[in-house]
Amino acid sequence: MIRPILLVGLCAATNVAAQADTPAEIPPVEVPAAVAKTEAEMKPYAEIIEHTDQTIQMVPIPGGEFTMGSPEAEDDRNDDEGPQRTVKIEPFWMGKFEVTWEQYDIWNESVDQRMRKMLSKKKTPRDSAVDGVSKPTEPYTDMSFGMGREDYPAICMTQHAARTYCEWLSAKTGRYYRLPTEAEWEYACRAGTETPYSFGDDVDQLGDYAWFYDNSEDNSQRVGQKKPNPWGLYDMHGNVSEWVLDQYTPYDKLKEALNPLAVPKTLYPRVVRGGGWDDDPEVLRSAARKASDEDWKQQDPQEPKSIWYHTDALSVGFRVVRPLNVPSSEARSTKWDKTEPEQKDPEE
Amino acid sequence: MTDNNRREFIKKSTATGAALTFAAAAARNVHAAEDNTIRVGLVGCGGRGTGAAKQSLSVDNGPIKMVALADVFENKLKSTLASLTTDSKLKDKVDIPEERQYVGFDGYKKVMDALEPGDIVILATPAAFRWVHYQYAIERGLNVFMEKPVTIDAPTSARFLEINKAALAKNLKVGVGLMCRHCKARQELFDRIQNGEIGDITMMRAYRMTGPTATAAVEPNTGDLSELEFQIKNFHGFLWLSGGAVSDFLIHNIDESCWMKNAWPVSAIACGGRHYRDGCIDQNFDTYSIEYTFADGAKLFVDGRTVPGCKREFASFAHGTKGSAIISTASHTPAKSKMFSTQIMDDKFETWAYPQPEPNPYQVEWDDLIAAIREDQEYNEVERGVMASAVTSMGRMAAHTGQEITLEEFMKHDHEFAPNVADLTIDGPAPLQANEDGKYSIPMPGLVKNREYL
Repeated sequence: MIRPILLVGLCAATNVAAQADTPAEIPPVEVPAAVAKTEAEMKPYAEIIEHTDQTIQMVPIPGGEFTMGSPEAEDDRNDDEGPQRTVKIEPFWMGKFEVTWEQYDIWNESVDQRMRKMLSKKKTPRDSAVDGVSKPTEPYTDMSFGMGREDYPAICMTQHAARTYCEWLSAKTGRYYRLPTEAEWEYACRAGTETPYSFGDDVDQLGDYAWFYDNSEDNSQRVGQKKPNPWGLYDMHGNVSEWVLDQYTPYDKLKEALNPLAVPKTLYPRVVRGGGWDDDPEVLRSAARKASDEDWKQQDPQEPKSIWYHTDALSVGFRVVRPLNVPSSEARSTKWDKTEPEQKDPEE
Repeated sequence: MTDNNRREFIKKSTATGAALTFAAAAARNVHAAEDNTIRVGLVGCGGRGTGAAKQSLSVDNGPIKMVALADVFENKLKSTLASLTTDSKLKDKVDIPEERQYVGFDGYKKVMDALEPGDIVILATPAAFRWVHYQYAIERGLNVFMEKPVTIDAPTSARFLEINKAALAKNLKVGVGLMCRHCKARQELFDRIQNGEIGDITMMRAYRMTGPTATAAVEPNTGDLSELEFQIKNFHGFLWLSGGAVSDFLIHNIDESCWMKNAWPVSAIACGGRHYRDGCIDQNFDTYSIEYTFADGAKLFVDGRTVPGCKREFASFAHGTKGSAIISTASHTPAKSKMFSTQIMDDKFETWAYPQPEPNPYQVEWDDLIAAIREDQEYNEVERGVMASAVTSMGRMAAHTGQEITLEEFMKHDHEFAPNVADLTIDGPAPLQANEDGKYSIPMPGLVKNREYL
């Protein structure tokens, strides 16, 4: 259940009047570079995660129009990449890198709150706010499956877990973060290009930009080691496939042209983008789509299977975005944060 | 036959099928349920029990049906029921009317009374209750699948081996949930190691260093539950119920290592301690390091840790005089077992690797058990299940007491954690009582040496 938390800093920045029905007001963490009223004022910034030494690097993505999907003539194209259509996207910031384990575990294992208590620091209003955000149940195994923790990308989480991380990050920072939509993701990945990859169509160059089956040695890799795309985003192609907000839906069923989002109504299939360390080059193309599947929980020996973990999705992770124009709480509950069926842990 | 065992009857009748006319077969004094449907009952409706139930119904070698459930918590039972009856692949194999849903400590008896000799009961409660439930299952002539660990202290380990003699005499088929033993990759590695492909094993390493796990760290009871209910809900936190983080989490890696050595260790020393216990009232340490010694002097080193933010490793390795092996790579499956010609486990020196993908051992252990039942082969994994549990408990005891302990001493030890476990009632006192501060007795290595806690 997403609780609309009014983010004061954003309201001030976007001139949204505070609504009477919103709960506690939470002042954002002070990050001067994160403040912007207009697209022109947007700068790269490092989001601070209080009580830890971690920051999340954010890159401004200008608004614009682009052609979503791939042309029929593109090599190795799948039918679900068409029909192509024009989509308009409003400005947002996007994580420069995939969310790393180091960043993920702050929520996952309450590292920030443990630190705060060890150092005998008082709770900030934001610490009280994160108390209200759910956390994954303790797993039975190491969910990195020996792939590496620290600044390797976090993996094996469900879309629900990735969404909840964003909810936590919003409460933790006082700024609104969420997963990208499928359209935002492709727009940011293409970064103004129309070729199969954001560096062109020469597959021989893929190793300079991406980790994939041929060069990953069967393992995800530390984020940010390859060349970035034209907008300064790393590992959009490869390393791990990234969760987006959408239900996996044929394009010919989608009519929304401004900030489109296919709000999920069923648990499967949902969408990951960009391909991962175990994929072949064609799966890393800007337009390529991958649908989530029940088999991603195959080796979870518990029943009911966990709502937090995909024990078999070792090349699935995510990155976060922050829209410039913060949606109203109504827009959040009817579109941006909406998802069905509700994900609840079994009653203890 | 001491029992009217349907499976034995089926086998006999098929073996002599050609000679039997239908009329002759029908003339046998056989009760109405005499068909080859295996009926399954579940005792303990937690996540693993429900998983095991589904795996049992997924075995595709003849008719099988889930017919009865028991748990001490009604909500657990109902969620298992919902999970089984809404599974589109399995729901036709589920027949559990209200009168075969049993809530309470005596539910195990009622489930087993609802079954008949030759059926299967799944024992998936916390380990403390295992010997009680197993004893009754044998009395009822049932085949059994029991989750690991099967014991958590010395007296019940010795008792369990004793109890098992009756199961062997009755030729009951009994599986123990150490599923790594059923993994095709590890089985091939075992054969290769026994054939001397890495020489003599001199050292093994087993790790389960992860973040916080399951209910190993327990915060105080908010008072909504009775003390006993609270402990059962958080069973990894209490030694009498589960053997704690060592028994429940480390047993697989310890067991698969001992398997490769084809021996049980003869002694153990161990370190361990509690550092981050802010507000927790369970009995576990944060870290455990156990050194086991085998009769030939070989060592097994085991590291367990449930601390966030630290190096993670969840794997087992063997080192021999001619090379080394990865027993399992990460978590339990896939094992991705490999061998190397040197002590450096680098692909350059790889001499063998099990081809991927591997079948899921959680399913294979069920395929194997039910095949044994249908074909009436001898099948009893209890002794190794008890020894794996006892060896694991011995390591835990070495850490909790700070003493060196031999397996011989351990097996004679007299500290039974919950001697009254067979007589517990949900509103009655728990075997472990909190002190005035709501805290529980914890191990005190070096101060309390002859038992794990006061």
